[in-house]
Formats: sequence, C-alpha cells, structure tokens
Amino acid sequence: MGHGRSRPNTIDRRQFLQVSALGSSGALIGARRLLGLQTKSVSEPMFRLAPLKGVDFTLLNSPTPQKYLIETMPGGVALLDYNNDGLLDIFFVNGGHITSPMHPPFSFGRRDPRYWNRLYRQNKDGSFTDVTEQAGLASIGDMNYGMGVAVGDYDNDGFPDIYVTNYGRNVLYHNNGDGTFTDVTAKAGVAAGGWSVSAGFLDYDNDGKLDLFVTRYLDWSVEKSKACGSLEPTYCPPGEFPPIANILYHNRGDSTFEDVSMSSGIGAKKGHGLGVAFADYDLDGYTDIFVTMDVVEQFLFHNNGDGTFTECAFDSGAALANSGKMLSGMGVVFQDYDNDGLPDVLVTQLPHEPYVVFHNDGKGSFSARELETGFGAISGSTGGWGVGLEDFDNDGWKDVFIVQSHVFDNVHKYDSSLHYREPPLLALNHNGHFERADAGSDVPVAARGAAFGDLNNDGWMDVVTTALGEQPQLYLNRGGRLHWLTITLHGKRSNRDGYGARVKVNGQVRFATATGSYLSSNDKRLHFGLGSADAADVEVFWPSGIHQTARGVRADQFIVVEEAAET
Amino acid sequence: MIHVLLLLCMLLQATSAENSLPPEVRTLLQSGSDAESRSDLDGAISAFRKATDLAPTAAIAFLRLGDAYMKKHDYAAAIRPLKRAAELDPDSLVVHRLLGYALLTEGYASEAIPHLELVHEYGALGVAQLQAGQPAEAVASLQAALAKSPNDPDLLYYLSRAGDEMSAESLDKLLSAFPDSARAHQAKGRTFYQMKMYPQALQEYEKAILLRPDLPGLRLELGQVYAATSEWAKAEQQLRTEVELQPGSAEAAYRLGDALLQQGKMEGAIEELRRSDTLRPNMPETLYALGKASAASNPQAAEKALNRVLAMEKETQLAGAAYFVLAGIHRKQGKTELAAREMQEFRRLQALNTPQP
Repeated sequence: MGHGRSRPNTIDRRQFLQVSALGSSGALIGARRLLGLQTKSVSEPMFRLAPLKGVDFTLLNSPTPQKYLIETMPGGVALLDYNNDGLLDIFFVNGGHITSPMHPPFSFGRRDPRYWNRLYRQNKDGSFTDVTEQAGLASIGDMNYGMGVAVGDYDNDGFPDIYVTNYGRNVLYHNNGDGTFTDVTAKAGVAAGGWSVSAGFLDYDNDGKLDLFVTRYLDWSVEKSKACGSLEPTYCPPGEFPPIANILYHNRGDSTFEDVSMSSGIGAKKGHGLGVAFADYDLDGYTDIFVTMDVVEQFLFHNNGDGTFTECAFDSGAALANSGKMLSGMGVVFQDYDNDGLPDVLVTQLPHEPYVVFHNDGKGSFSARELETGFGAISGSTGGWGVGLEDFDNDGWKDVFIVQSHVFDNVHKYDSSLHYREPPLLALNHNGHFERADAGSDVPVAARGAAFGDLNNDGWMDVVTTALGEQPQLYLNRGGRLHWLTITLHGKRSNRDGYGARVKVNGQVRFATATGSYLSSNDKRLHFGLGSADAADVEVFWPSGIHQTARGVRADQFIVVEEAAET
Repeated sequence: MIHVLLLLCMLLQATSAENSLPPEVRTLLQSGSDAESRSDLDGAISAFRKATDLAPTAAIAFLRLGDAYMKKHDYAAAIRPLKRAAELDPDSLVVHRLLGYALLTEGYASEAIPHLELVHEYGALGVAQLQAGQPAEAVASLQAALAKSPNDPDLLYYLSRAGDEMSAESLDKLLSAFPDSARAHQAKGRTFYQMKMYPQALQEYEKAILLRPDLPGLRLELGQVYAATSEWAKAEQQLRTEVELQPGSAEAAYRLGDALLQQGKMEGAIEELRRSDTLRPNMPETLYALGKASAASNPQAAEKALNRVLAMEKETQLAGAAYFVLAGIHRKQGKTELAAREMQEFRRLQALNTPQP
C-alpha cells in the first residue's frame, strides 16, 4: 500500500478563488509516474485483493436451520477518519450469536468479543490497530443483532459520530474527539426499535445540523419468525411479514433528535426498506431520499422544502424496473453516472432481473435504463448488495463496483444456475455505458456491505467489503496515469460535513454524502477523476445556498473547501 | 348427466325384461325400486339380492343390484353382480356402461376399457386408457369426447395429461433406441430446461450441437437456456447462428432481437424485431419488444408498436406492460397527465393479472 499521509490543502474562500498550489501528493504521484511505478497496464485488473494488516474481524451471522431472516442480512462497514489524522479508519458491524433454535429471553451474545463491532485505526504504515475497546465501542448490547452503520458529525464538533443499526435498538456513539466514543442513544432519542437496516445522516431542512434517516425492513421478530421453502427450509420472502415504515429524526441542535416520521410524511408509507441514498434530484436545494424496497415499489421521497416529503417514485418513473416489474431492491447509489449534472439512481437486486438504473431525465422524472446502460448484459444472474458509483480509473466517468451474493445459502437447490457466493462485479463506464471489467478477484463470497474511499490516499478509490462468515476484503486500486482531485468540504453555515452540497468539477457532479451502498458508510471526501486534465474548475453549491467557484485548481491533490461566509 | 341418461335407458330396458320374470321376483324388484325411491339403498340392495337368489339367471336382477350398489357409491360391491349381468346378457349396453364405470372407479382401468369401448363412452374410455398406459389411444378418445363437450374441464385436464404421457413415452422410446443421438440430447436438454436445471440443459444442447451442428432449432433452444440465466451475449451468439440456419423463422428473429435488447444493443434489436414482425405480423410480444427498443431513439415508432399491442391485448399483463412503456415515453415528453393515466392503467392491469394469495 502506497501510504504516507497527504496533508490536504485548506482553501478558504479567498484562497479558493486564487487556486491553491500548496504541498500535495501531486509531486509524489508525478515522481512515481516518471519512475513507472503505480501505473497499470491494460491487461491488469483495476484492483488487487490486499491484506488488511491488523484486521482480524470476522462477520459472524450465525446461520441456523431455523432460518431466522436477520441471519442473512448483515453487516455494514464504514470508512471514516475518526481521529482526524488524515487516514481512513474502518468500522465493522458484526451480526451476533443466534442459538438454534432461539429461546426467550433472546440474546445475541454481543458481550462475547467475537460478536463485537470493531473499530480499526489506520497506522501510518497502512496497517491497522484494533481500538474497539479503548474507543468504548465494545459491546453494543446483548439484545441487538447488528446490521448497518452511518457516519456524520451531528453536533458539528469536527469529529465524525457513528450510528449503528440493529435488529433491536440502534445506538448513536458520540465521538468525544479524544479517540473515545460515548453511547448517547438515550439522550439523543434515536434508538428506533424493531428491525433497522441502513441509515444515513442528511440535513433535510438545511438548518446546518445533520438529521438522521433509518430504513426498516419488516415487522419481524424472533417470535414471529418462520422458515419457507418447498425443497428444504430457506429464508422467507419479505411478503411473508407485514411492511413497516422508515424513520426520520430531526436534529434539534441540542444533541437530541425528534422523531418526525409522521409529521414529515416519511412514516405514512410502509414498505420493506433496505438501502438508502440521498441527493437533490430536482436541484431545488433540498435533499431528497431514495429508499430501496424489497419486492414492493421503490420509494422516492421528494423534499418539499417545508419539512415534509412526498413519496413520488411511481409517478416519477423510479418505482419499477424497465419491465414494469417490482425490484427486490437492496443496495443503492444516488449519483450522476452520465455527467449530465443530475443525480441518477442505481439499485442492486436479486438475480433473474438486471440491476436497475433510474436515469434522471430532469423535471423530476426518471426512466429505467438498465438495458441502455448495459446492465442487462452484465447482471441478471447474480444478486447485488453493496454498490458504489466511483471513478475508479479516473477517466472522468463514474464506474460501478457491486458486491454480490444470493440471500439463500441453499439457493443452488432451488435453481442450479444460481450461487450463494459470488465474486464482485466491476463495470467501467464508457460515456454512460457500462462494461464488465476484471475486479481483481474471482473468489466467491457471501458479500453484503461495501464502503468506498481512498484508503491509502493515493488518489485512486479503493473498496472495503464484508461477507457473511468471512473476514473483510480490501480491493486496493492499482492506480494509473490519469489525474484526480479529492475535495473535503468544511461547512460553516451548512453542516460541518457539507452533506447535501453539490460539487461540480470539470463538468462532473457529485452530491456530498457518505450514505449509499448497503448498510455502509463511505469516505465522505469527494473524489473526481480528471482524465488527462491536469487542472480543474470547481464549483460548490452549499446547502446554505452559498455558491463558490474556482478555476484552474491543480490536479492530483487533496483540497479542503471551507464554506464562505457569503457567496 | 351421463348417469341420468344411463338410468333412463336402464329403466326402459328393465321394464320389458321384468315382465317375463316370476311374480315373486317381480315383487322383490318392485320392492327394491320402492326402497330406492325412499332413498333406502340398504333396503333396495336387500330386496334385489333376494331377487338374484330366487332368479339366478335373471340379468335384470343382477343389474338392479349392481346399480343399487353404485348409487350407494360401493363400486367394489357393484362389480360382481354387474359382471354376472354381463355374462347373462352380453348385449346389454346398460350393463357394460355401469360395469365399465365401476371397474374404472375401482382402478381396474384395463378391465374397464372393453366395456367402455362397447358403449362409446369416450370420456371415461380416455381416462381408462390413460390410466392403463395407453396415452396415444387416450388422446384419441378424449378428443372424441371433447368434440361433443368442448368445454368440459375434466376432459381438458385429462387430455393435457394424456399429451404429457404421450410425450414422455415418445421420449423414452427415443432415449432407449437412440441414446446418443442429437435428438436425444436435445430432448434431455429441453427436459432439464423445463426443470430449471440450466447447467445440465446447457451440457445436453452442447452435445446435440456437436453431433448435428446444422440441425435447426437446437440453437434456438440453447439460446433460451442462456436467456433464462441472463447470459445474453451467449444467447445472442447462438441465436445469430439459428437465424442463419432459419432465416425465415419469426421466432428466431424475435428471440435474437430480445437478446440484443437485453444487452442494450438497440439498433440491432430494432432490426431483428422488425424483421420478425414482417415474417409473422401482429405478434404482441414482438411488438412490445419493438416498442421498448425504440422508446429512446424513435418514440413515435415505439408508440405505434405499443398501440398495436394495445389493439390486440386488452386486459392482459402484456397490455399493462405496454402502458408502462408508453407512460415512460410520455413522461419524458412532458405529457405528465397522459403518463399518469397510462400508469393508472398499468397499475389496474397489474392488479387484475396478479394472482391474489
């Protein structure tokens, strides 16, 4: 791993307009290029499976013959810099222990260190140190079976906080800024309950404070559990259990949250929610919410700008696949794949139907374009979970990486053409059309979570994935010759993380968010591939309404954009 | 209905036969009939049995006894007196009818066949033949029965079963006589495909193609296996060869067009789908696929194709799917009200065609 901390440039408004050229990793990259290092030949795969040195985490889901549905759904991974040392750290959500069968009182054995969630701090040499216990993140409570993770600085103190979803009670960990966290769930009032899946921080009312959205899957409990299947027991489809509403928490600004699910309209629609992603799809300045739904119509919550949302997926053309069929929606990403400036939606789902691309046609409407974009050719025989739309080859077009697996661990007995374990799918974006590429591993795993970020700060996006019963995998980008720019937002009037900002670089647009994929939280920095361009024009549209621009920003560096006091 | 006709016929014949019997036997038969009319079947059986004891060569007495047992649904007990009646009066169609049904009901299908043949009871005969392992004969009999009662669900069900059996029988013959022939592998491939055992189906089709690379239909079927597993590039490859082998096949052109459509190769898809539409016009599936393929590049052509679907398909799932694609086209054109109406139609037809749990 080509480590060595690249200290980001901090650009305030005045400097930003003048374009900073202070020390960056660009010189290092240039030197490597001259020496012929870190350049990728055409035949080489994009990634190599690299060891996560010092990481001994195994995602324990405890599969049982009773086929408790929660067993097949965890677990998330987050890439975050919890100690602000410039290196991405990794947080893993574990499942829990399930006895066969379970008897009340139900416990998931989370006090046992094997079932802890884990936080690994990245060291300067690229290795990791397990800091779970010293960070105060050890046991999350015996009654909680782990699912996903969201990361955001909800109190704007400059340190990322962690929210963990569970079957049971969700937990909000406040980052104390000294390497430790405190469980503030009770005070914050964000425990939710039932079966939460994915979550994400967003500022839906642009008040500068991060709110919290939580998807919930089913009205399910251990007591209500049952197995399905005609040949042998397997996990039941979601329709066997009642639907349930998602949750929206509004940040009051005093470290407490208010459940506004009903008053906002979010709670009015029940479904089988799994993934969630945010973007302002109609460019009205307010963050909208897309929730993937399992075998019901997808949900697109349009933010009305007055604290309420209208679910409009069906009328907007973003509820159903190109075939008019319902999706078994799981992972989701809400970014612009075709560089038309409007965020599109990509949804992963179970096999026999391709992954779905909802193209944003503008004026609030979408069209399902899985066939036109090539997903019909590269998917359909696999199930997809975690997903990222990132420019892995830095050519200026966002590519797709999807971790894959089926829900059923015995799916081959029902359909011999399907497999429980699958290798990931990497598809490179050629002017809006995706073509399969070598992901660097054909090792099949029962993958679930995937988080995307530049783990070694070399300007090339990497992937960390989770798999049931297995250790996590690091897909380390081999790098190449093309240019890049990575931007960290520092909100002032807007929320500290800058979530909700729209950032435009050389015509490409990214919506600032760490939320997307499945159960996971990505590197919050915004990465842009610049192709052969060695400089970039940058525009930031902050949630506060402030608009900043800069021309000729030198490529191959990490920069920080601080929100100006005014436009 | 059949039973009512049988009874009427039987009563007419019985009246004339009874006149030649001794008075005490006639009294017992009358007493049995009275008991039957009071729904006292046990009383009727007792009276008819006494009549058979008093007149052991009177076919009518055995017939009435057998019929009483059948009314009591005791078909096993009915067989013996009916067989005796048939011995005594081999020309009695009523006896053969009842005996045929009694034997068939009790599972003696082979034994029932000659009796049912004699009375041209084609429906029951077909069932007996099917159960006796004579599917080809069963198909003929059931078709004859359906000619008289074309909408009889029982007859339709048994005919479909007989067709399946016949197909299985032919397959068995093919596999035992020519186990390594291309057709045998094709047949096995088809079976595996129907059982969703796609890897096995692929193997069989590949073997068949190796033996008979020029055999029309093989690649069409292999292409469908690849399509079922979403391996569209491989499906395209096979279907292209099939189209070369069968340039006049509308199905091959349609399937190739669909494989191209699934891969987003819209121009090629449109070309093949149009060709299919020319070879065999007004196939709703072809027109629907043509509408989907044309939606982005030529919305007018797409609308035309989809409206042709709607002209043929009224309340079907395919009609719903056509509305869905039309709504997408119109939404993109800014015709939001029209799109909303089409989405409502889509939703209505979706609900109409989705089986309720």
